[in-house]
Amino acid sequence: MRRLAGLAVALPVLLPIEDACAHPAFQGATGFYGGLLHPLFVPTHAIAVLSLGLLIGQQMPHWRWPLGLAYAAGLGIGFAAMISAFAPRFSTEVLVAATAIVGALIALARPLPRLIICILAIAVGIALALDSSPGGISVREANVIIVGTFCGAVILLGIVLEVAAIFRRTWQKLGVRILGSWIAASAVLVLTWQLAR
Amino acid sequence: MPPIRANLRAILLLILTTKPAVAHTGNFSGGLLGGFAHPLFGPDHVVAMVAVGLWGAFLGPPAMFALPIVFPLVMAVGGALGIVGVPLPAAELAIAASAIVLGLMVASAARPPLWVAATIVAAFAIFHGYAHGAELPAGTDAAAYSIGFVTATGLLHLVGIALGLTVRWPAGRMGVRGTGAVIACAGLLFLWRLA
Repeated sequence: MRRLAGLAVALPVLLPIEDACAHPAFQGATGFYGGLLHPLFVPTHAIAVLSLGLLIGQQMPHWRWPLGLAYAAGLGIGFAAMISAFAPRFSTEVLVAATAIVGALIALARPLPRLIICILAIAVGIALALDSSPGGISVREANVIIVGTFCGAVILLGIVLEVAAIFRRTWQKLGVRILGSWIAASAVLVLTWQLAR
Repeated sequence: MPPIRANLRAILLLILTTKPAVAHTGNFSGGLLGGFAHPLFGPDHVVAMVAVGLWGAFLGPPAMFALPIVFPLVMAVGGALGIVGVPLPAAELAIAASAIVLGLMVASAARPPLWVAATIVAAFAIFHGYAHGAELPAGTDAAAYSIGFVTATGLLHLVGIALGLTVRWPAGRMGVRGTGAVIACAGLLFLWRLA
């Protein structure tokens, strides 16, 4: 056990750590950890995962893990499509539009059918994966980043789901609705900027 | 070494040694901070946002929570108009007027129906959003900037609500109405400076 603990300490230091640079601005994107942190450091990805987690936690806290699996399946489908050289043109726009819809649904707080939430979870997963293209590097490096991004996106949603499931008091639920309106507003602005530029 | 402590060290090392993923185009930290600072360094925005929160607290539930939900959603529409470049005449005048009207609502302890209050707040939200959207700096990470300024706006509402919760005490009620009067006077000052 001690040896394993020591390895856990040494591993991050021994592994080559480089910038995680997805998308066109990220030249020389390599590294599992870069991919792992990618969903957290890309604002559009972070708010997409946050909004989905809050929606699932608000609407169906008891179904959070099956719906989380649907999201993971969406991620898998998206990454599989990306590996198959599918290059979508409007992945960011689709992801941000989905985020705006999810944020507005959180703010409205009307009961939704499970199927709708499941479809949204899959859609967000696919859009997030397709928007996480590590371009301009070798296939092996890209695959490592993709695995990291998949893990990071799933872990991030898992954390949000567990936190959102705690919110049971009235003021906490109102806080989630307010947060949903902030997410929707941010997403609408980003979508407009993306389409206008 | 206990495994938990070792894992904590591993996480710490991971955080310290992994460089941040500088995602997408633009300057992430500059965008987030710039967006966050934008409403905070505009006194006309600050007083109007605090007034929204104060008025919401004065009106009590459900208005207390409905207004901070309505405002960002409508503000985004105004922001979109600003980003696209749709001309919206007298936006600065409307922002100054928002401080006057909302300040007067708080000062006079006005209690209109929720839909009236929401309509007034939404109308002014368009102009505040327009100003933020139109002033989005070039080369900034738009997503980070938007998240920053929406968050700052929302936090100012929450500050107003927190101050407004003191209305349950007579002294607090006087204080909140007095703050409303000060906000209305500030709005007049903004209007005078624009003239």
